[in-house]
Amino acid sequence: MSAFESLRIAGSGLGMHQTWLDALSHNIANIGTVRSTAEDAFQAQLVVAESREDGGVRVREIALSSAEGRMTYQPDHPLADEAGYVRLPDTEMSDQMAELIMAQRGFQASAQVTKFAQDTYQTAIGIGQR
Amino acid sequence: MSIGGIEGIPGVGGFTPFVPPTVPATPAVGGAPSVGGVGGTGGPDFGELVLDGLDRLDGVQRTADQLSVQAATGDLQNIHDYTIAATQAAVTTQVTVAVRNKAVEAFTEIMRMQV
Repeated sequence: MSAFESLRIAGSGLGMHQTWLDALSHNIANIGTVRSTAEDAFQAQLVVAESREDGGVRVREIALSSAEGRMTYQPDHPLADEAGYVRLPDTEMSDQMAELIMAQRGFQASAQVTKFAQDTYQTAIGIGQR
Repeated sequence: MSIGGIEGIPGVGGFTPFVPPTVPATPAVGGAPSVGGVGGTGGPDFGELVLDGLDRLDGVQRTADQLSVQAATGDLQNIHDYTIAATQAAVTTQVTVAVRNKAVEAFTEIMRMQV
């Protein structure tokens, strides 16, 4: 256990939220990705976090949403099958935006913890100084 | 009701509770004089501690330097990796300087003693 545990733990939180933000930006960028019905729909990345035994958080895995997607009738689309259907990703933009705010706020909270940790270290250094 | 220390939540893991450092028992003042003067207490002497601290400071600063080079060359994966390493380097430097200042202060205090 080093003297910078709170910094390290806050750093792991920053890393996890960074991964979450990356996954969300990937999902939002592909919100309109259309696939033909013969292949899998675009699968959104779902970050699964877990707590670490020595403190902090880590990304356990990046799960994928359903490959079935949302069957949509778009007969004009070049990828449409004989019946006129294509597969759209099974993700909602509103859900992704809400999660984006959660990830951003979590990142900011972890960054705030690093600030407080630094202030605490400064206080400890200041003990006994004239 | 007795108030205990803060403990980790069982079964959840997390950080280990803070344990204050313990110093090995030193021989009583005025007891049998030990050979070796300053180093006679059995623990490492102050100079070794300072050198050890400087070594550690060098390592922390080197990590921060490497990450700053990565940031400049575009190889840095996460921005916070650098900022945290830089914070650690800054705080470690300040601790080392504070310890040095204390040592110099003690020395000058002794030198000012009227004989």
